[in-house]
Amino acid sequence: MELFTEPIKALRSFIDEMDSKKSWQEDRYRVWPEGGGRNIVLKEDMGLELGSPEKESLSCILWTEHCPNVADGTITLIGPDFSESMGKSLPFGKVVLVGVEGFTEDNAYDRHRAMDLIRYSLDLKGFMMRAASQYMREWCRISRSTVMEGFTIKVLGSALMALFRREPFVKAVELIYVTSNTSDVNMLKQITAPAEKIISAMNKMIGEMDYDCDKCDYQTVCDDASQLKSMREAMIKKSRESRAVKSG
Amino acid sequence: MGDTKILAMCGKGGVGKTSISALMVKLLAGGNNRKILAIDADPAVGLASALGINVRKTVNDIRNELVSRIQKGESQARKETLNFLDYEIFDALEEREGYALLAIGRPEDEGCFCRVNNLLKDIIRDLAGRFDIVLIDGEAGVEQINRRVMKTVDQLVLVSDTSAKGISVANTIAHVAADNNAVEFRSIGLVLNRVKSEDEVNDIRGRTNLDIYGWIAEDDLIRDFDFRAKPLVKIPDNSPTLHVISGVLEKMKVL
Repeated sequence: MELFTEPIKALRSFIDEMDSKKSWQEDRYRVWPEGGGRNIVLKEDMGLELGSPEKESLSCILWTEHCPNVADGTITLIGPDFSESMGKSLPFGKVVLVGVEGFTEDNAYDRHRAMDLIRYSLDLKGFMMRAASQYMREWCRISRSTVMEGFTIKVLGSALMALFRREPFVKAVELIYVTSNTSDVNMLKQITAPAEKIISAMNKMIGEMDYDCDKCDYQTVCDDASQLKSMREAMIKKSRESRAVKSG
Repeated sequence: MGDTKILAMCGKGGVGKTSISALMVKLLAGGNNRKILAIDADPAVGLASALGINVRKTVNDIRNELVSRIQKGESQARKETLNFLDYEIFDALEEREGYALLAIGRPEDEGCFCRVNNLLKDIIRDLAGRFDIVLIDGEAGVEQINRRVMKTVDQLVLVSDTSAKGISVANTIAHVAADNNAVEFRSIGLVLNRVKSEDEVNDIRGRTNLDIYGWIAEDDLIRDFDFRAKPLVKIPDNSPTLHVISGVLEKMKVL
């Protein structure tokens, strides 16, 4: 099942066209200490901030069953790393590109949701993250001492990748971070906008099972992504079957 | 909640509860590098004013936005809603040197959105647990603290002036809190405000069973700050009132 073919293609071109980018392979051996649940970073302890409500922010997950499209284990950064940004509040963009298997009309929504919730399990000392899926925004703070102790995008990305790899359907993960400027984050937003519409359409389908397609704001999105229609049909079928079982 | 200490301030309106709360925040923020959260649970956001803060967003604003989304028919799965509220509430925090303030705002409108209210309470409890000390400046009654902020506090601090009415309200709040289980607390005490002489304090001891944590004399400087709407956090460190409040905090083992 493929829903994000075009955004992934555009994302690949975006990365290729960026001159000032750095890439690393994930570090599976360096383990950053856990925050013990008290992961709050207030301004007075803050080393830097990413994607605050006053700045541009984007956080998006794109998945594909065509795993060669995913540079597994690669973390790309467009913009400065944490140690180069001490005391700053930067715009922030993050795309998690995931190679998956076994996605069907029946399970795609639940699996997408499961992947969206993974970031909330990140518990890293000195790192605070708040995110609102509804806005596709992510707001991070890293404490001064944590930056000084060597916390980098590579450390953060590796920790996130490790969490994604726990899901049995995840076969490859690539991370793209943007910290350079508002304009680059906005470009990333444009690239992922079609994906955002698809995700919103999925959310709407789940929330409103009896909705009339002819009156739905997302009808054009579904028309363009035929697999969304199949998802909806599968949901309606499941819903009918469950009602039939209940009514005996 | 781990090691977080939660103090809740209650008492009849107009007895100086908010001024005392603001001075407590000043003292707590000034020492030991601990994380302090002040929660303004007064609908008039008096604590924010006393701290010199213009509140951009209250918990109630966030609640109203979510309720309006629900009324428009947007689906709200529990986990996503919790994360959304967590994001919004962190954005509503007003961070200042040594402390952060969260304003609850006006009580909710008519209509039952218990699920949203409960989620908000969950988030506030979780947020509070990430601070070392939480100070809640409440309305007159403890029920509001339970309903709008949290059910369990460590220290219930009742504030009263020396009026018979003020003491009676303090006694009633203590009774409601303890006997009706309106709020769970570990200890409870009384702070007397605007006292003319120690004789008044001795007299009041005969009219209440509450432990008197401290008494504050009439203070022209506080009156002047109130009169001129100057933030109380700017009161000089050698203020006699500040000295008494420091003693109250020491008695509660939070300073």
